Amino acid sequence: MDIIGQFPLFYFPEYGSAWMMGVTGTIHILASHTSVGAAMLFAFLAYKAYKENRTDLYPYMKKYGMFLLIFSYVIGSITGPGIWYTATAASPRGISALIHNFVWVWATEWVFFVYEVIGVFLLVYFIDKIDKKTHLKLTFSFALASVGTLALIIGIISFMMWPGTEAYYATGSASDAFFGTNTFPHMFLRIGFMIMLSGVIGLLISSAMRKENLELSNELTKKMGYISMLGGFLVLFFFMWYMGTLPDNAHAVFNVTKADVIQSRIILTIVFSLYFLLAVVKPQYIKTPLAGAMIFVILIAGIWPGEKLRESMRKPYVAGQYIYSNQIISRDVAGKGIKSELPIIAKKGLLQVNPFVPQNLKVITPENKLAAGELLTKMSCSNCHSLEKTGKYRPLKDRLVGMDKDGIKGILYAMGQGAFPYMPTLELPEDEYDAIAEYIASLKY
Amino acid sequence: MDASILLALRDPAGVPFYPVVFQALYVLTWALHAAFVLLALGSMGLSIVGTFKQKSDPIWKVMNPHLIQTGKISISILIVLGVAPLLFTQVIYDPNWYVANTLSGMWVFIFIYTLIVGYIMYYWYYYANKKIEGGGKLIGIISFAILVFAGILMHNFAVTSIMPNDWMQMYAPNGVVDTSGWTFNMEIIRLAFMVSLAVPVVGIFLQNYSRFLSTRADFSKEFVDYTASLGTKLGVVGLLISAVTFALWMLQIDYLLHPLSLAIVVGVVVLLLLVKQNKNSYITTGVLVVVALLISAMRELIRFDIMANLGYSIYEYPVNLEIPSIVMFLFTFLIMGGVGVAWLLTMAWKVGKNQGVFDGSKDVAVTKLGNYTLAIMVLWMVVYFGWGMFILFNNIL
Repeated sequence: MDIIGQFPLFYFPEYGSAWMMGVTGTIHILASHTSVGAAMLFAFLAYKAYKENRTDLYPYMKKYGMFLLIFSYVIGSITGPGIWYTATAASPRGISALIHNFVWVWATEWVFFVYEVIGVFLLVYFIDKIDKKTHLKLTFSFALASVGTLALIIGIISFMMWPGTEAYYATGSASDAFFGTNTFPHMFLRIGFMIMLSGVIGLLISSAMRKENLELSNELTKKMGYISMLGGFLVLFFFMWYMGTLPDNAHAVFNVTKADVIQSRIILTIVFSLYFLLAVVKPQYIKTPLAGAMIFVILIAGIWPGEKLRESMRKPYVAGQYIYSNQIISRDVAGKGIKSELPIIAKKGLLQVNPFVPQNLKVITPENKLAAGELLTKMSCSNCHSLEKTGKYRPLKDRLVGMDKDGIKGILYAMGQGAFPYMPTLELPEDEYDAIAEYIASLKY
Repeated sequence: MDASILLALRDPAGVPFYPVVFQALYVLTWALHAAFVLLALGSMGLSIVGTFKQKSDPIWKVMNPHLIQTGKISISILIVLGVAPLLFTQVIYDPNWYVANTLSGMWVFIFIYTLIVGYIMYYWYYYANKKIEGGGKLIGIISFAILVFAGILMHNFAVTSIMPNDWMQMYAPNGVVDTSGWTFNMEIIRLAFMVSLAVPVVGIFLQNYSRFLSTRADFSKEFVDYTASLGTKLGVVGLLISAVTFALWMLQIDYLLHPLSLAIVVGVVVLLLLVKQNKNSYITTGVLVVVALLISAMRELIRFDIMANLGYSIYEYPVNLEIPSIVMFLFTFLIMGGVGVAWLLTMAWKVGKNQGVFDGSKDVAVTKLGNYTLAIMVLWMVVYFGWGMFILFNNIL
């Protein structure tokens, strides 16, 4: 029997299921980056407090720690598996590919997580229950464990973009997949962002302590300003390196919105440079509402569009440049014995090879043509595009507005020949092209 | 569902190590995860009862904040421990897990936010109760209900994943494809058994709690005796309820006379005797861990049999051996994880036993374990970067 391992389809109306992953991912990035950055900052502060015998720093650390515990370890630790869950529902084969390549890497990261979760409670609750030297060691180990989690996940998410070299396809080795050309620049880019975020969160806490201790609040606000500046500089610096290690299809997508992206990033850089400068020069001007608002600005204007762009630049793939977003394996990976599914789909059609297509839709007839077309469109397009006339997320309507059936078919034929680098080269039998075109045309975008 | 379909749903990359190892790790880590789920449920539930007694009763006044704190930490630990079985199940039972997740896609999304809201509200409850004795009742109850609902959703995913014969009907009832992701399935008796275990678990926890604090001069004998006897009562009643629901579950699926099922029954009886006598609750806890492992193995046996009867055996999953990354895992797990967690737990134990500030720098075990942990972590980083550079140079030069 000629079937491929495709799963049932989950589609969230108007937005598409990938969008749900984006929401969870954005929240997770804020929380997880804060937690790693804060762990490094914590180690720095603990070292300073211990070496200079600055007992006044401990209450700040305790406050910061409580915030970290609630914010990063509640939200971060749930949204982490949350990305995994929602990604599983949206792109099961993409996640499966990552799991089957990197299960031991993930299991290793889990060891660090266990250490971190137990560690964070001790770090916060034992701050005045153990001696300072042991507490300092705890903060150092906590920072190392946090950076360890980054070191482990970074190779996996870099592989999602691409393995970077051809070695992985030949060997199938997790090491070749993990350490691509993109991995280290990506890692340091994120470390910069983590340092910056730790400072930005630190500003929120230092500004909130003004009533209790004005002098300390100003001193820490200044310090956080410097730390944020350092982080921001590292982000910009490593972003250049990172962009240089991306594949051609990523640049093809990037070029579409390049001018807008650069413009918005310049504005963000200026706004945040001024904010950090203000923290250094006039710390008393950094009030808690402003510090809170700036975190929100990072979330909405920084992380959300940034992650959306990174996800778009991966197109048409979802992992390792061998699985398309629409869950089809698009190339051989000799090292793992993986075969491209494109030839069999071109020959038999998606309806025949997908095991979850019900019997009444396996063969297209005049009676079921629209229903089959709808299912085929969902299977082929909905991972990236919302389909409704009122669709919100990368809607098909914006791309196919006013087109008739023949026009749509023309685009499908071109796609089947690989005309667009950011779209899957999905060749289908004539009757499936026809059913898709008929269904999309019936929506009258 | 046809075997050829189930086999086609396996990942074409194969598994990177022998399936039996993933199966064993799954059973082990699920048991650990479940232990903290049950402790969280039990301590949260009991703490809510405690909010009604906290104001007037001097014992509950001391105990209830501890129960709330136990619930709070247990949730964090259950989340992190839950990642591991989630990982291992996807390696060998990927068809089951991914089908269940796509069929219940909406619930998957809702699950995450249910957990976030429930846990944040739990912190709210913690702070409200800290502020006023007996405070936060309503918030506590709501957060408890939300977190129980999250557990029910998780139960749905597990149950749906072992219903392969019904998947097609769930996805396309009467040939009409439903991509909404609202599939929801429950097995009431199985769920009742799992949830009922929270009662004996919190009972045994209270026995341990009492034993641990019995050496502290700042806790009265009355307090120690009361918590121990409450633990015994909860343990005995809870185990009886769990035994009945377990027997019903086994009867329902026709596994009651299976050796593994009988072993669980024996384990529960032993637990019952140990809890009732309460001579050494630490030993009882050891037996509880064994019973938890047996229950985890029972769940796995049920799934294994369902799949094997359909022609899907995890032992026939193609293996693509991946040595370097498993070496990394084993070293990290056994050496760094072992030493590091031993350090943290030793420290926590000694701080708990100590009144006032504990000077870890004068404690040989704490100092040595701390130094080893730091040295191992630094070495880990060196190996990581060394390995990465070697691979990268090798592939690009």
